[in-house]
Amino acid sequence: MITAEWKPIEELVSSLAGYRNVLLVGCATCVAECAAGGEREVQTLAPLLTMALAKQGQEINIRTATLERQCEPEFYDDIAEAAAEVEAIMSLACGIGMQLMAEQFDPLPMLPGVNTTSLAIREEPGLWTTRCAACGDCVLGETFGLCPVSRCAKSLLNGPCGGTRENGKCEVDPDTDCIWRLIVERATARGRLDALATVRQPKDWSHSQHGGPMRMVREDLR
Amino acid sequence: MASDQTSKDFTPDITVLYCGRSLAEPDSAKQGTMQTDGCRVKLVLLPCSSKMEVPQMLHLLKQGADGLVLAACPEGACRFLVGNDRAAKRVEFARGLLEQAGMGAARLVLDRGAGRDLDSLLALAQRQAQEVGPLGPNPLKGVNAR
Amino acid sequence: MKNLNAATKLEKVLTAGEFALTVEIGPPRGPNPEPVRQKAALLAGLADAYNVTDNQTAVVRMSSIAGAKILLDQGLEPVMQMTCRDRNRIAMQSDLLGASALGLRNVLAISGDHQSASAGGKLNGHPGAKSVFDIDSIQLLSVIKGLRDQAVQAGGDSITEPAPFFIGAAWTPLGPPVEFRVTRLAKKIAAGADFIQTQAVYDMDAFGRQLALAHDQGLTEKAFILPGIIVPRSAGMLNYMNRSVPGVVVPQELIDRMKQASDPQAEGIKITLELIEAVRALPGAAGVHLQAIEAEELLPEIIEAAGLRPRPEV
Repeated sequence: MITAEWKPIEELVSSLAGYRNVLLVGCATCVAECAAGGEREVQTLAPLLTMALAKQGQEINIRTATLERQCEPEFYDDIAEAAAEVEAIMSLACGIGMQLMAEQFDPLPMLPGVNTTSLAIREEPGLWTTRCAACGDCVLGETFGLCPVSRCAKSLLNGPCGGTRENGKCEVDPDTDCIWRLIVERATARGRLDALATVRQPKDWSHSQHGGPMRMVREDLR
Repeated sequence: MASDQTSKDFTPDITVLYCGRSLAEPDSAKQGTMQTDGCRVKLVLLPCSSKMEVPQMLHLLKQGADGLVLAACPEGACRFLVGNDRAAKRVEFARGLLEQAGMGAARLVLDRGAGRDLDSLLALAQRQAQEVGPLGPNPLKGVNAR
Repeated sequence: MKNLNAATKLEKVLTAGEFALTVEIGPPRGPNPEPVRQKAALLAGLADAYNVTDNQTAVVRMSSIAGAKILLDQGLEPVMQMTCRDRNRIAMQSDLLGASALGLRNVLAISGDHQSASAGGKLNGHPGAKSVFDIDSIQLLSVIKGLRDQAVQAGGDSITEPAPFFIGAAWTPLGPPVEFRVTRLAKKIAAGADFIQTQAVYDMDAFGRQLALAHDQGLTEKAFILPGIIVPRSAGMLNYMNRSVPGVVVPQELIDRMKQASDPQAEGIKITLELIEAVRALPGAAGVHLQAIEAEELLPEIIEAAGLRPRPEV
């Protein structure tokens, strides 16, 4: 899923300064799965922000809605009426949904409610960890299904740096596994450690954001 | 806005949400609004403290309650094993949010206890009324009561 | 290894089969060349070459290119370190050409401490910096080798003439997953490493086993391996390195010795001398990379006592 997390409450409060009618819109897909922008979070933030602003002497009416997906225009009909009656929309969707929101109701101001953080998996309740960097040049076939591009702090492609801790964790974060330790373990378990002995050449990063914004075209679908 | 009121000239509205299983006598469950020393109390019976989630806690405060008490069972005594532990984590999270929002974490507390009766629930409300007194009234008091 | 790659003093000493000695000089956190010159004056003639670190622990310091050039001007032979953290392949190759133009010939390719390191939290550093890691240290070795052997850039374009480098790499022989570390060494050598400087070793038995594996695979014939030794100065320092520096394993016996010593500095020097002796006895150890962190003044005495002076004339 695409993961996001709330912007600091203080930042959300100050972004709402001066507004009297705002629509707070969640997304029931990825950001709901990562507990940042689903219906539950909408219903948490709406009263919280109302109170925070009241505390500062600002009366605000925060309406709420949660779209099935903010990244698909077809779901926007549900909030068209409400959008016509507010001064701004605060979106709790990922950066993709937020941009479509901004576009759909242009020139209504779109206030971002979350920071989009990663492409991740829910490892256990309350814990999400990165799985993909959208690098556009997948190496999982050579690394036994474990991604060193997104899960190594240095995106190393030829094995672990010298920073692997004694317990196999990463030097950058004591709670994060050294992904190369896991790759080596999986290769060893499959009797294929030799597969990691080949020097992997520099990666072509032009397929990722480093190559500029992607524009993917499928003529058969246009 | 009620922000010009001082802590001295308001009567706190305290909502006490309690787990029915923390009562001494389950049949004695009381609900409704009542007056006690220093505050107005709203008692709400829950089948388990875990029935309260963060949005509901905040909603009650937005409706104008000055303070909230979630009365759960003692550690290890939850009929549903971990309901009271979940409640404790949620209260902790919501308290953090209230602090960040400038409302004050103290407006929401968890109490663990068993053998409760009406008197002990009212005592919880009175204690919470004293805690929220210094914070002043909920700025939304009377604004969103509908 | 008969044809010299860059004919540096370090390469010549190693090729001649002499037991080589390198030490480290960290550039200052400022623009003044004097501290580098002072360290150079203190350490001149003691070692065959002097590593100049590249913003180690992710703290901004004078660049390793400039530091290395200052040493060169003082008559010391530098080993310019280059990390993969801060530059992409374009900047790295440009800097390599520039370094070569300045007469820098020894270069050591390393991944580099992550930008969050910030001197272990002792300084602010720049944890919010955008990390680069365009290529990894092994790929950097290939790139340097390409500039030297084929006069070709990573992208395939030619350069006007080969850039002669004596290419170094780092090795953490005892870091987990330890079963992969010799393979990683082999990859570095295959990619282009002529010499290897290792993370500090205190557990000579464990290191000896890793080096023996490398020796058995013929790796010590293909590259010169210089085990790293950091002069211990207190039991606390050894404890810290054992616990907190990845890949460093310190036997309890050494920590106890330092703890019980009435003169920890003297004991630290004694331990260092024993470690150097142990390294010299290991088949496949071509020299030693000696560090006295913030205590460079101890090095002359240690090097003298270890019988490593004078350095061979080559």
